[in-house]
Amino acid sequence: MSIKKSKHFFEEDFVEKIGEVSDENYKQLPPNKDLKYIGKKIPRYDGYAKVSGKAVYTFDINLPNMVYGKILRSEIPHGKIKSIDISKAKSTDGVLDILTFENTPDYNWYGNSSKLFDQVVRYEGDEIACICAETQKDAEEAAKKIIISYEKLPFEVDAEKSFKSENLKIHESGNISREKPDEYSRGNVDDGFEQSEIIVEDTYSTQIAIHNPTEVHCSVANWEGEKLKIWDSTQGIFEVRNSIAKSLGINEENVQVIKEYMGGGFGSKLEAGKYTLMAAILSKKLKRPVKIVLDRKEMNLAVGNRPDSKQTLKLGLKKDGTILALNHYSIANVGAYPSGGGCSWPARTMYQIPNVKTVDYSIFTNTGRSRAFRAPGHVQGTFALDAIMDDAAEKIGMDPLEFRIKNYAEKDQVWGGNYSSKMLKEAYKIGAEKIGWGKRNKIPGSEKSYLKTGIGLASQIWWGGGGPPAHANMKIAKDGLVHVYSGTQDLGTGTYTFISQIAAEILEIPLNKIKVHLGDTDFPFGPSSGGSTTAPSISPAVRDAAEKMKKKLFSAASALTNISEDKLIYSEGSFSSENIKIINIDEIANQVESDSLFTKGSREENIEGIVVQTFGAQFAKVEVDTLTGNVKVIKIVAAHDIGRTLNRQTLENQFHGGIMQGLGFALTEERIMDSDYGKMLNPNMHDYKIPTMLDAPTEIEVIIVNDMDELANNMGVKGIGEPAMIPTAAAIANAVYNAIGVRIKSLPITPDKIINALYKN
Amino acid sequence: MNNFEYMQPESIEIASKFLKKNSSSYLYAGGTDILGMIKEDIISPKQLVNLKKINSLNYIKFDEKEGLKIGALTKLSEIEKSEIIKKSFNVLHQAVKEVATLQLRNVGTIGGNICQRPRCFYFRGDFDCIRKGGDTCFAVTGNSKYHCIIGGGPCYIVHPSDTAVALLALDAKFKISSEKSEKIISAREFFVLPDVDDQKENILKDGEILTEIIIPNSSNNISKFIKVKERGAWDFALVSIAGVFEIENKIIKSGKITFGGVAPIPWVEEKVNTGLTNFKIDENNIEKLSSLAFTKAEAMDKNSYKIPLAKNLIKKLLSEIVY
Amino acid sequence: MKKSDKPINSSRRKFLKGMSSGIVGAYAITPNLKIENLPKEISDSIEGKIKLTIKVNGDKISKSVKPNTTLAEFIREDLKLTGTKIVCNHGECGSCTVLMNGEAVYSCHMLALDADGSEIITVEGLLKDDELHPVQQSFIDKDGLQCGFCTPGQIMSAYALLKNNSKPTDEEIKNGMSGNLCRCGAYPKIFDSVKDAVSKKI
Repeated sequence: MSIKKSKHFFEEDFVEKIGEVSDENYKQLPPNKDLKYIGKKIPRYDGYAKVSGKAVYTFDINLPNMVYGKILRSEIPHGKIKSIDISKAKSTDGVLDILTFENTPDYNWYGNSSKLFDQVVRYEGDEIACICAETQKDAEEAAKKIIISYEKLPFEVDAEKSFKSENLKIHESGNISREKPDEYSRGNVDDGFEQSEIIVEDTYSTQIAIHNPTEVHCSVANWEGEKLKIWDSTQGIFEVRNSIAKSLGINEENVQVIKEYMGGGFGSKLEAGKYTLMAAILSKKLKRPVKIVLDRKEMNLAVGNRPDSKQTLKLGLKKDGTILALNHYSIANVGAYPSGGGCSWPARTMYQIPNVKTVDYSIFTNTGRSRAFRAPGHVQGTFALDAIMDDAAEKIGMDPLEFRIKNYAEKDQVWGGNYSSKMLKEAYKIGAEKIGWGKRNKIPGSEKSYLKTGIGLASQIWWGGGGPPAHANMKIAKDGLVHVYSGTQDLGTGTYTFISQIAAEILEIPLNKIKVHLGDTDFPFGPSSGGSTTAPSISPAVRDAAEKMKKKLFSAASALTNISEDKLIYSEGSFSSENIKIINIDEIANQVESDSLFTKGSREENIEGIVVQTFGAQFAKVEVDTLTGNVKVIKIVAAHDIGRTLNRQTLENQFHGGIMQGLGFALTEERIMDSDYGKMLNPNMHDYKIPTMLDAPTEIEVIIVNDMDELANNMGVKGIGEPAMIPTAAAIANAVYNAIGVRIKSLPITPDKIINALYKN
Repeated sequence: MNNFEYMQPESIEIASKFLKKNSSSYLYAGGTDILGMIKEDIISPKQLVNLKKINSLNYIKFDEKEGLKIGALTKLSEIEKSEIIKKSFNVLHQAVKEVATLQLRNVGTIGGNICQRPRCFYFRGDFDCIRKGGDTCFAVTGNSKYHCIIGGGPCYIVHPSDTAVALLALDAKFKISSEKSEKIISAREFFVLPDVDDQKENILKDGEILTEIIIPNSSNNISKFIKVKERGAWDFALVSIAGVFEIENKIIKSGKITFGGVAPIPWVEEKVNTGLTNFKIDENNIEKLSSLAFTKAEAMDKNSYKIPLAKNLIKKLLSEIVY
Repeated sequence: MKKSDKPINSSRRKFLKGMSSGIVGAYAITPNLKIENLPKEISDSIEGKIKLTIKVNGDKISKSVKPNTTLAEFIREDLKLTGTKIVCNHGECGSCTVLMNGEAVYSCHMLALDADGSEIITVEGLLKDDELHPVQQSFIDKDGLQCGFCTPGQIMSAYALLKNNSKPTDEEIKNGMSGNLCRCGAYPKIFDSVKDAVSKKI
């Protein structure tokens, strides 16, 4: 083990970290077909806990003597609080305390752009007060009795209008998040367009989508002396620990964050919430455990969303299909506080283009702030990029698939490095075959019937390589059970399961001998679960711990049997010598002193100069009822290069999930705002339309094109959470165009848009 | 959710008397609609008057002569399961299946479905709109995507009930009971437009309770219900259509078409129904008939799609009933 | 637009009156409620709590609750059965699905008092000691879950579906399960799980 500097991508940002890495150089494991557990359809480790109703989520935590906090939020989009009258609320039955900006210190939030309780509210949903009471109902009732008087300020909910506005300043620095656009260029786009024979230009837009995980954001905080214990529904326990410790000015070691099970996050739970800090403050004051649970309306207003986008793309190409230049300009609504809404990474990296220029503006508005949402930027960017790719192909009379292969990027387009692996061509080939690419309409919209079918495709690129630091400890207990500890999270993605598979595979013992412990900051560090990095960061560390344990078992067996290590053969949990079984793991565990069988595993560093990316292509077949405007997705084929499959069953499931969320983004989901009043009109799960089982594609086929990505890490693994979702909406949109012959340039493609496009009057 | 008192009268008379006498008491059947409104603070009842002990309002009866009678407290799922309704009043069966989800149909009643309040997001949201006694319909300058194209003003809601659209096509009648009297009126007379009353969707007065739905025997008819929605289930209609026809050899002898999602009440386009007498089903005639529809519709900023959509549904309905 | 911000003007009163229509609402002119005018049925509700007698997972329970307690709150808070999840609290997602007298219902969107005298089964009630019900086992075998938070509701819907229809068609499964949202999007495998349970002929 040594301490090294290493960098990798996490949710669109380079992160450089200095931490401990494994120095071991393991040979790549054989392909999955030669393995016993890895890659197989192994039932979920946490399946029993979840189907029996016994799994305890943060939402279910109930501590003795616990009290409840309810957050009162702004009902107006922009204003300064003139006064808060909490007197009536305070005298309500059961009320213990009320926090407001008047009685709470200034804890900075969202950088320095807001306070825990800010006198200025900048969107409908901004925190104003937190009422703590004996019961949830008491707190809710008291919240209704707080009287606020505002000085109302001008507001804007639309990014373009806010960008241009002269009388609205949402923050001191203006209305551009991070004060300037994110710009990138390579080559010279002007020259590129000049040399082009064909220019295609268009503007596309995408909506604001809300994560809406099923488990609401919630925290329970409890002080035990100087130590603060927090149960939090989070994707990053260490992030929450560090952030809360920093806010409170206490040592990180004095904060413990726990998350055993979590009901979905999708990016909305990657940062510490104001509610967590409020619970900690209240718990300290009241000397009782405090639970704060958001409600569904708050979930829709205040804990993130996918920013919208208005993207103008200009593509220059030669008649033979060679792309020479691409200009991508975007403007995104990131809400009231700093966040990133850029969506140009697919334009920069997906296809081979010598001259590229991108400009991304992230604009403040008086609406809920955006957060990372499953493949931030890429979902929006891919919709626009793959739409203009199809339009360009049509213009030169080339098959859209052929056009993509013509402009296939063999090398990374931004840094020029070699990919660890890129098998996208194989994905195109098998995907096209499975969807029946040849049967698509040569002339879009040419089918005679009012029911029109169409086929479309889109490509995917995303990092998903993970990196250090990421650790896992392993211990074999006296009873022979193997325990793995890691401070990472299982979001429902299968982390518990694949860890048990890797441990069982390396140690050659049954799965039921493995116990996995996750989601506790008292365990060794694991990174936040986002950016499709959990599996590629943690699985190599688990292997490292297991390989080291195996080594240790050799020395233990030798010490216990007085047979030299080189004469011992290990197989399926037992040591033998000269074909006679001598001792097994259980016996070793029982005979050695406590804590002897303990190993520390770490992720190795990434290889310098090699670019690890995931790739894929999705093909969609749809049927459009041109009388009703309804789109039915008949089939999705997802063919991807995501390295080694750890568990075929959970992998398929996560792909289905990405595709379902992509389908919702393509067809049904949308935050609706009233621009005159700055209020969200559909902050619930009925009017914000998450697809149901009836909306699911009739068929989904998931194909993984490679056995492993040998250069990615010692497990050959890459992430899949985000790759699964990136191309779906774009592929569906292209299929709809192929069906009806009219391009719907804004998502979601709802019946009204199709009807308006087909029946002009 | 604010607290309230809860009572379970054993007869309609007691319920009616109590409702008439006590301010902000609300009748409570399945509760699926009213609970949402209490949770959102749209209403704050002092008392909820649960009718569930009144078993006499839970029935489906059929008689050749008298037709079909459904007690107002009959659960939607019971109607969905009813063989006689499936066989002879299929349009109602189809419409019921389109309501919300199975779990809600297991609780929600037919009476409640007919009398449910609008789903307009301004009405359901934190806006002091006309229907709540304010003086603005926020949809006019705001988001009108789900609002009406005909019959609106000063309020532009659409009536949310799927079953009401089917019942109107079936020429249903409603029995209205109060403490001392009973009356029977046609489904069409039951619903009122906003220019008559902008805060109520129907004619029920204080203390009056919808107790029975009566449908004349129409077992020889062919019927169909189509609902266009944005997701597969759990969605109110963008536009829906119900049709009940007497057909012989591809000729509609007589028929009736009704619409949902277009107006503040379940809607009848007179010209379309007049045109349905001795109507030969072919492409030309269908085209002609649909062009007669919604000529008086007036769209707002975001709901103009409903006009071609509603016309398309006439085509879809008529072409699908013969195949 | 805090309610208290708004003047309670004549239009507000008109609004309340407007609510009188139909089965949903009724309104009376009497401004002040007088206890002696109340029929007997509600007299015991005035104290604030009403007695509820209910059978949950086979156990008979008698408890007094505030009228505004939902069935889901009663199950989770009074009975400490936290398998039933509250997600939307509005009857808009299905995670709180339980069986009431053999039919699937949203426990978050009905009053505990609505279940008075009825028989409730929650996800915990499917277990025999600690052994899974075959429907639960199907959800493990076919991986009909991801984060697991909607899963108890999905399982209860599947159980209700099979209880009332032992041989559902694919369409009937999809319709029967469409009142349960899964934000992780595990629908294909939830569907497979239900199919698997069907094949077990429970």
